[in-house]
Amino acid sequence: MGAFNPPIRVGVWALSGLLLLGALVLPFVLAPFHLRLAQQILLFGGMAIGWSLLGGFTNYWSFGHTAFFGLGAFSAGLLSQQLGPEMSVAFRLLVGLVFAVVLTLVAAVAIAGPVLKLRGIYFAIAMLAFAEILGEVSKTFDFFQGTSGFPLPTLSALGLQKVQLFYFLFLLLFVANVAVFVCLRRSRLGIGLICIGQDEDTAAMLGIPTERYKLVAFVLSAVLTAIGGVLYGYSLGFISSGSVFRIDISLNLILYSMLGGIGTVVGPFFGAAIMIILTQVILGDLLDLHMMLTGTVLIAMVILAPTGLMGLLQKAWNRRRTAAGKARA
Amino acid sequence: MNETLLLQTLVDGLILGGIFSLSAVGFSLIFGVLGVVNLAHGIFILGGAYLGLALKAALGLDPLAAIPIVFVVVSVIGAVLHQTLVSAAVQRGSLMTSLLITFGISLIVRDILILIFGPDIHSLASVWLLNTFHVGGVVVDGARATALIASLALLGLLSLVLYRMKVGRAIRATAQQSFAAGLCGVDAGRVHTLTFGVSAGFAGASGIVIGMINPFSPFDDAYWTLNAFVTVVLGGVGSPVGALLGGLLLGEISTLSSQYIGPRYPNVFIFGALFLMLIVRPNGLLGNAYKGSV
Repeated sequence: MGAFNPPIRVGVWALSGLLLLGALVLPFVLAPFHLRLAQQILLFGGMAIGWSLLGGFTNYWSFGHTAFFGLGAFSAGLLSQQLGPEMSVAFRLLVGLVFAVVLTLVAAVAIAGPVLKLRGIYFAIAMLAFAEILGEVSKTFDFFQGTSGFPLPTLSALGLQKVQLFYFLFLLLFVANVAVFVCLRRSRLGIGLICIGQDEDTAAMLGIPTERYKLVAFVLSAVLTAIGGVLYGYSLGFISSGSVFRIDISLNLILYSMLGGIGTVVGPFFGAAIMIILTQVILGDLLDLHMMLTGTVLIAMVILAPTGLMGLLQKAWNRRRTAAGKARA
Repeated sequence: MNETLLLQTLVDGLILGGIFSLSAVGFSLIFGVLGVVNLAHGIFILGGAYLGLALKAALGLDPLAAIPIVFVVVSVIGAVLHQTLVSAAVQRGSLMTSLLITFGISLIVRDILILIFGPDIHSLASVWLLNTFHVGGVVVDGARATALIASLALLGLLSLVLYRMKVGRAIRATAQQSFAAGLCGVDAGRVHTLTFGVSAGFAGASGIVIGMINPFSPFDDAYWTLNAFVTVVLGGVGSPVGALLGGLLLGEISTLSSQYIGPRYPNVFIFGALFLMLIVRPNGLLGNAYKGSV
């Protein structure tokens, strides 16, 4: 595989290290409001990268990732309730994480078989329906307490403020998402997935085990999203069906990926950063117009720049190189 | 007693189903002819309902009399949106991107509706409603019966256009094979725009019918879009008959489950049915009316 994957350049390593270092210092300099923004960007940007494991590589666009998000939040929250206040919060969070991951693993494997047979729009809508079913179930049965909601214990550790603590947790998850994405893209599996995205039938004909590859990408993506849900639930401190089973979470993941550039690793992060800053800072006072703005950006991106910002950058870069090449000749 | 209850539930389901059918037929046409899943469908329905409300407030027009005006206005809006945004997206990207475009449209229109009419719940009242009547112990609600009649009339009209008129033949031909239709002199682009417009018009008209039996607010659009999708997946894509079958099934599922299992369960059953159908037979019970089973 060496021919496909030149080693990651030293410059990229150095830049990533520097950025990470900067991200580690951030919570100690930013005001709480800005830190909360950074939190959201890391969480949803990270999850958009997780969404791309399936949507970016294979072109299977899930419109229902909030199913796994909510599944994670609810399973961890309900478990923590069952364990009771005798146990420490950190322990409950950890057990909740493991529980949520196992549950999501089971759920994702269970629905992957039938759902991944569907293609294109049918897959998108099946996932949407799956998310709706979970949301409705959580509201319908009293056991899940989805209608009224329930509180989660407050996590505190290392003498950090809650905002700072969750910033670091989200950062950790973000790094995990990036790491999984990069490793996947550079592996045999990732190349197979990209082939599936380009032409699934041809890929199958060339001997790529498409079913197995899609399953792995689907489950990985689901589990990473569920972990996001667990952490988000704990950071909110109180969850209900309305706050975690939200169609707009699913759609935002797609929007962030599209805005930045689907299939790139930095794209979803930039997409999330731009949209979150735009809606919360610049339009912070105009809450009524959030939806209109999201809709407008969505439409503008699809029509004007279907490959996203990274696609635009790539194009500009190519143009410059061709121009330079011509000048040399 | 029990038999009357069952009968009553079945009748209620049929009436509800007829209205679901009308609300879904536009969605079904767009899906069948253009291959586009129109996530703005629900907002077209609400747009029609709010337009009826505005017409009543401004001109004192009865909602039932406003149906033709609403149909035309929403049709034109739909056709313009298709011409400017949706077709561009389908050409530049894929059918997938049309999901995003139509979702974007729904977000924008919902915001506009909230800005104009506020987030409150409204309902439409007509003076021409039938009186509530009894048939052998079964109560038939007047408003619902009127809504059902209006729905069936509109569905019949659409069938007439699709199967008896030249335009309808062009629409069906484009759905089957747009390239071959083009060879025979059909302008596929125009047919697409026309279909989108007509479908939007039907959605708007169904908004009035829905508004007469159900209170509505700007946040209901996702519900109606999903409802339309379930109807289409149950019945089959692209035909009034498929929409009717799907709508009736959906109506029965929802009334039976809320009567015999509990008033909170219909949604679980509806989405469960959708999920099951997608997996077992994604093209609906009747299959795809035009394209054959893919």
